[in-house]
Amino acid sequence: MTDANPSSQPNSLETIDPLPLSSVTDLATAIHSNVTQVIVGHEAEVEHVVTALLARGHILLDDVPGVGKTMLARSIARSIDCSFQRVQFTPDLLPSDITGVNVFNQKTREFEFQSGPVFANIVLGDEINRAPPKTQSALLEAMEEQQVTVDGETRPLPDPFVVIATQNAIEPNRTYDLPFAEVDRFMKKLSLGYPTPAEESEMLGRTVGHHPIERLESVTDLESVIRAREAVANIAVEPPVRTYASNLAHYTREHAKIGASPRGSIALLRAAQARAALDNREYVIPDDIQHEAPHVLSHRIKTSSSRDDDGGTVVADALERVRVP
Amino acid sequence: MSTQTRTGRSNPVSLALESPLEWASTISVFRWLAYSGLGVLTVSYLAVLQEITITVGGTRSLSVLVIAMFVGAVVFAHTIHPRTALAVALGAGALGFWYYFEVTGYGIGVIFSEFDTLISDTVTLATGMSIQQMAEAGTWTLGFAPAPVFLSWYLAVRRRYALAVVPGGAALLFLVLTTDATIGVTLVGVVGGIATVGFGELDRRDGSIAQADVLAILFAVIVFLSMTVTLVPGGAASPTVLVDDDADTLDGTIDSNPDETGISGSVDLSPEVHFTVVSDEPSYWRTAVYDRYTGDSWLRTGPEGEYDEGVLEAPPGQTQTMNQTITIESQQNVLPTAAQPTAIGGDITADLEVTDHGQPMPEGTLIEGDTYNVESAVLDADPAELNDAGTDYGEDVEEYYLQTPEDMSGAFEDRTAEIVEEAGAETPYEKAAAIEQYFNAEYDYSLEVDRPDGNVANDFLLEMDEGYCVYFATAMTQMLRAEEVPARYVTGYTSGQQVDDHEHVVRGLDAHAWVEVYFPDHGWVAFEPTPSSERDDTHDDRLEEAREDGEDGIDTEESEDVPVDGEDEDAPDFLEEEDPDALLDGPHNESDPDLEDNESTDNETQAGEEHAGQEGLLEGENDTDGSEGEVDDSELETDDEGLSLPVSPGDLLVGTALFLGLAAGAHRSGVTGLVGREARLYWQGFDTDPDTDTQRAYERLEHLLARQYRSRRRGESPRQYLESISKYGSVDPRVRRVTALYEQATYGGGLDRDEADEAVSLVTGLARERVPLLGRFWR
Repeated sequence: MTDANPSSQPNSLETIDPLPLSSVTDLATAIHSNVTQVIVGHEAEVEHVVTALLARGHILLDDVPGVGKTMLARSIARSIDCSFQRVQFTPDLLPSDITGVNVFNQKTREFEFQSGPVFANIVLGDEINRAPPKTQSALLEAMEEQQVTVDGETRPLPDPFVVIATQNAIEPNRTYDLPFAEVDRFMKKLSLGYPTPAEESEMLGRTVGHHPIERLESVTDLESVIRAREAVANIAVEPPVRTYASNLAHYTREHAKIGASPRGSIALLRAAQARAALDNREYVIPDDIQHEAPHVLSHRIKTSSSRDDDGGTVVADALERVRVP
Repeated sequence: MSTQTRTGRSNPVSLALESPLEWASTISVFRWLAYSGLGVLTVSYLAVLQEITITVGGTRSLSVLVIAMFVGAVVFAHTIHPRTALAVALGAGALGFWYYFEVTGYGIGVIFSEFDTLISDTVTLATGMSIQQMAEAGTWTLGFAPAPVFLSWYLAVRRRYALAVVPGGAALLFLVLTTDATIGVTLVGVVGGIATVGFGELDRRDGSIAQADVLAILFAVIVFLSMTVTLVPGGAASPTVLVDDDADTLDGTIDSNPDETGISGSVDLSPEVHFTVVSDEPSYWRTAVYDRYTGDSWLRTGPEGEYDEGVLEAPPGQTQTMNQTITIESQQNVLPTAAQPTAIGGDITADLEVTDHGQPMPEGTLIEGDTYNVESAVLDADPAELNDAGTDYGEDVEEYYLQTPEDMSGAFEDRTAEIVEEAGAETPYEKAAAIEQYFNAEYDYSLEVDRPDGNVANDFLLEMDEGYCVYFATAMTQMLRAEEVPARYVTGYTSGQQVDDHEHVVRGLDAHAWVEVYFPDHGWVAFEPTPSSERDDTHDDRLEEAREDGEDGIDTEESEDVPVDGEDEDAPDFLEEEDPDALLDGPHNESDPDLEDNESTDNETQAGEEHAGQEGLLEGENDTDGSEGEVDDSELETDDEGLSLPVSPGDLLVGTALFLGLAAGAHRSGVTGLVGREARLYWQGFDTDPDTDTQRAYERLEHLLARQYRSRRRGESPRQYLESISKYGSVDPRVRRVTALYEQATYGGGLDRDEADEAVSLVTGLARERVPLLGRFWR
């Protein structure tokens, strides 16, 4: 892969100068406060999105329509000076509608690649579960490998590349369940929920005129985000903490039909790193892991019963039962 | 092939036959432990049997038989069917008992002809009669041992552990019921049996060693219970075998149990009056006769019968009739009479039994005020006649009265032969006189004796130079037997303090043991190996002391005014007048006169002194001998003394079992952990690396906080914990600091030495401030 696509790894480790930790904290705070100009309430969820962004993860927002999922994704994208694309998933959406196609150029008499919406720093996949699995899977390679392959040719995606997908929790007859493998590729699955009456009133006050998102300015640039991500990746995770994370994952495997995958434990540690960075701390403590685990692990767990919140229950049990070092 | 098929069918867990080594390497630790347990159980009952065979002979044949049975069981365990095994075991047992009946002369037909008697004998055994008292006990063990040994090991090798314990346990139980198995042995056997079942179950179920602590607790409970509770019939004496330092009284030692008498270490003298005698002449008052020597105790074998007129036979030799009237002054289990009693008169005759040796004894207890008349046939033979008596003893006498334990050393026989040879003794009578003389001349009298560990007679002759009557009589009896002279050990009282012309007061301190030697055509003749004058002095002193102390029950109305020494004054006269007769009458009604004469001739004047001593002794003994009959228990106690040495293997085993059990119990209940934590709370221990020290310091902090608030939950991080307890009130800033240092050490890549030391000293300070009472000094 590296041979075929040297450019897919445009920034090797040496070339990136990690942002100082305090700057990472500042950056995260800046994005957070910027986003909350638009999103009223949901402070914790916004923070989760920011940490996922810093932890090189993708986010799945799962909720009823109209609670601000799309608005959250858009405001994140606008807070960073970066490319943003939005794909509205429909039942007739084709994979090439996402990745792009080779088009024959009459003038040059050559095939030209018309890149799809996936070629952007932040991609919003709206109502992702309305498209059939085949189309959904077009995102798989992109999310995991940060590259797309069209007609045998592999093209790297920009860096950073973050997919924020939303899915509709109602209308089950008109939706397709996301393939488990794809769900596993989202670092976090969040649910916004309805605002409190006070929050809703506040929100209404902000949006009666021009929608605040139109005036939202970017507070940082791509380079800062890349450097911040590097800084987060350097946050120390000592053996006791690693053991704790793997014990948690192990617990879910023992107490559910399908427990958290190793990818899940990796995601958990990365999210915890970002959480530590938000706290301006150079190392991860179990509290970071505990904070992230419900959102990082729950959607990766399948129990024998089919209720949605079972994964959450298993994770809660794990947090209660697994000994903190 | 057919073997394997059969094996497979009969027992699914059995292994195919492989080489023994291969097989041994495949079995688990637990199986070895289970085998060890069964080994202990097996050894426990075999040890009891061996104790019997050591006394009566037959150890070698028993060992060979047991080993053969064991090897057979192990080798054929997987090749023969359980029913076949049962048949083999029962067959071997039946063969052994058949041999036993042949040897005892009953013949196998006795099973059919006297089935009732056999059953009743078995019941007698199972209700407390010692196997050692049986005829041909050694042969009996050959019938008894094979079945349990074979069956238990057969089953154990087939991994049927619980069943395997049953035959061994049954064997042990039977020996417990016969009182042959002491509490110590029983305990060891029971622990072995439990180990077998416990470890066996662990083996069968692939248990872990952690589960074995339950077993250890069980052991400890059993050991503890067995030390505090006894269910052994007849063993009501002393459930505690561990500590038994109290010296017995002489009378208690000698006369506690008419079936068996032990040999103690140091004894005290009881001045209590036991009975008074109105008699024509003074005599030794015999209460019991023993024929079988075990090395540390004497047993009476043979059956006892009801007393009827004419049951008591006079000795075959020439006798004089002597009448006594005896009045019991304190409770007795024995019936003192002058030897050889031929008729008993009085109310008590209704409840009399007569032993095989012609010694009457009460079925129950004689109480104060009981009075009876005795007519005794006192042997009247002169030494010359005894000297010519010959050695035609007859089979019965030789069978019973020449027995010696197997552990009697060759040195004992050599020394005996030497003594006899030095005296130039050739006939049985001369030999007896020589030995008697030897002890009188060479040994001192002392009640302060360290009881030898091994064979008492052996050690007394070869290693000791002082002792009391029990030792002298035991040694002399065995020496005579070593010289092929039938002898027996008898106990009773010396004549007592003479308070009137014909009246004697007999006290506990008059208790005595002496020797009777058999002479064909005459009967049993008494000999006195104990140095008499020293004995008198000792016993007189005791009575004087008791009188000075004003002890109760030491005098009758008649004896009150008679000074202790008064007898001595009388004694010489008495001696002068009828020295020979007195002596004869004293120790041995039957033949003493002859003996005395013989001695005086052989030993010149010494015999005379002896006699004098004896008479003095008799009278003095009244004053100071121990009380007989009071203590039936003392035998058991003395038997137990073998186990009550400072640290015996039994003690060690019991101690180890207790210790392990307590340790396991403590472990299981978390006591050790608690103590350890408590200690660590106030003392950090030695420095290791900074991170470990900090972590340890934090653990201590957590225990401190747990005591004050609550312990940290499993899923709770240190930070959350701190947050949570801070809701109870303000938390000491040092606690926050230590928590932060701990986080840094554990999650943050480590601390340097100074920071670690800071954490440790903070926690130590916090801990010591919280010590109750003393804590304030630390602030």
